[in-house]
Amino acid sequence: MLRHRLGFWLIGAIILAVLLVAGRAPLGSWSMLASSPALDTLYVPVQWWQSFSLWFRDSQSLQAHVEDLQKRTQQQAALIQEANSLRDENRQLRNLLDIAGITGYRWHAAKVRGRSPDTMSQRILLQVNGVDADDVIVSSEGLVGIIDSRTDQHATVRTILDGSLAVPVTVPGTALAALLRGQGDRLKVSFVPLEQAPKVGAVLYTSGAGGFFPPGIAVARITEVKPIPGQLFADVEATPMAHWQRDNWLAVASHIQEEP
Amino acid sequence: MTALAILFLAWLGSSFNLAFASSMVQPDWALALLVGSLLAHRANWVWVLPGIAMHDLILHWSLWVCLPIAAAIPLVLIYLDEHLGVGLPQRLFMLLLVTVMLLPWGWSVQAWLLTVGLTVPAWYVLSKQYAYAT
Repeated sequence: MLRHRLGFWLIGAIILAVLLVAGRAPLGSWSMLASSPALDTLYVPVQWWQSFSLWFRDSQSLQAHVEDLQKRTQQQAALIQEANSLRDENRQLRNLLDIAGITGYRWHAAKVRGRSPDTMSQRILLQVNGVDADDVIVSSEGLVGIIDSRTDQHATVRTILDGSLAVPVTVPGTALAALLRGQGDRLKVSFVPLEQAPKVGAVLYTSGAGGFFPPGIAVARITEVKPIPGQLFADVEATPMAHWQRDNWLAVASHIQEEP
Repeated sequence: MTALAILFLAWLGSSFNLAFASSMVQPDWALALLVGSLLAHRANWVWVLPGIAMHDLILHWSLWVCLPIAAAIPLVLIYLDEHLGVGLPQRLFMLLLVTVMLLPWGWSVQAWLLTVGLTVPAWYVLSKQYAYAT
C-alpha cells in the first residue's frame, strides 16, 4: 500500500519536473510554426469555394467588379505618386533638421494565416518569405510586434502584448522616454515621471531608442494615469493602437544589414 | 488506433482554432477531445498528456495552460475513486477545473462553454466504445 502511494507521488514529481524543465525551453513558437501545413490545408476549401463561386457569377457583375478594381488601382497609383513625392520632401526636411527617419528597413507585406484563439490574439502566424527573426511587424494603425521564429514560407509573431517584449516609446514634442511592456491583455508604461506623465488619450510612438524599432510608429493610447504616493514614476496603462485581431494583411519592416 | 485518430483530430482542431480564430467563436476542439478521452479511460494518460502538451504549446506557447491540471487528473481520480468510490462527480469536477484554465489565458466564456459542451459527448461516446471493447 505504501509502495503504491509512493508510486503516485513519484509519477507526480516526474511530471512536475518535466514541466519545469520543458517550460523553460522556447518550444512554443516552433510548434505553432509546425502546424502551418495544416492551416494551409484548411484554407484550401475556402479557396476552392471562392474559385467555384466565380462560375455562378454573371458576366455583368464580374465586369463591374473588374471596373471597380481598375478604378481602385488608378487611385492607388495616384496615392503612390503622392507618397513618393512626400517621402522625398520628408527626406529633405529631415536632412535640414538633422532628424533620424525610418531608414535602414525594407518593407513588405505578409498574409495573416492564423492567430492564437485568445480574445486579444497574442500570437500570429504569417505567410511570408524573406524575413528574419526580430523583424518588426506593423499594421496600418500601429506597431504589432516582432517575428519570433520563421521558416521559408511562414513566420510567427510575438505581439506587443507579450510580457517578454519591451518597446521604447515617447510622445512627440516632449522629453518623455518610457518603456512599454505587455501584460497579456493590456500594456503597462514604465518609467513615466509624474511631471511628464501624458494625459489619458495621448498616443505613444516608438522613440527608436536602441535601434530595434523604427521611430515614429504609433504604439499605444494611454488609458489610465495613476500617481503612486511616495513614488517618482506614475502608474500608466495603455491599449494597443493596432487591431491585429481583424487584419488580414500586415507589413514587415526588415532590418537592412549594413555591409562592413 | 483510437489514440492515433484522436491525436490527429486534436491536431486538426488546434489548426482550426488558429485558422479561424477571428471569424467565429469556437470551442477548444483539441482540449475537448483529449480531456474526453482521459475521462473515458484514465489509463489513456500515456498519449493524452503529450497531446495536451502539444495543444498548450501550439496555441499558447506555454506548458502551463491546461497540462498541469490534466496531468493531475489520473492521480486525483485514482485517489478519489479509491476513497469515494467510482463516480461522476469527481470526473465532472476535474473536467470543469481543466477547462476553466482557458479563461485566464484569454478565451471567451462562450468558447469555454462550447468546450465543456463538446467534451461531454466526446467523453460519452468514448466511454461507450471502451465499454464495448472490454
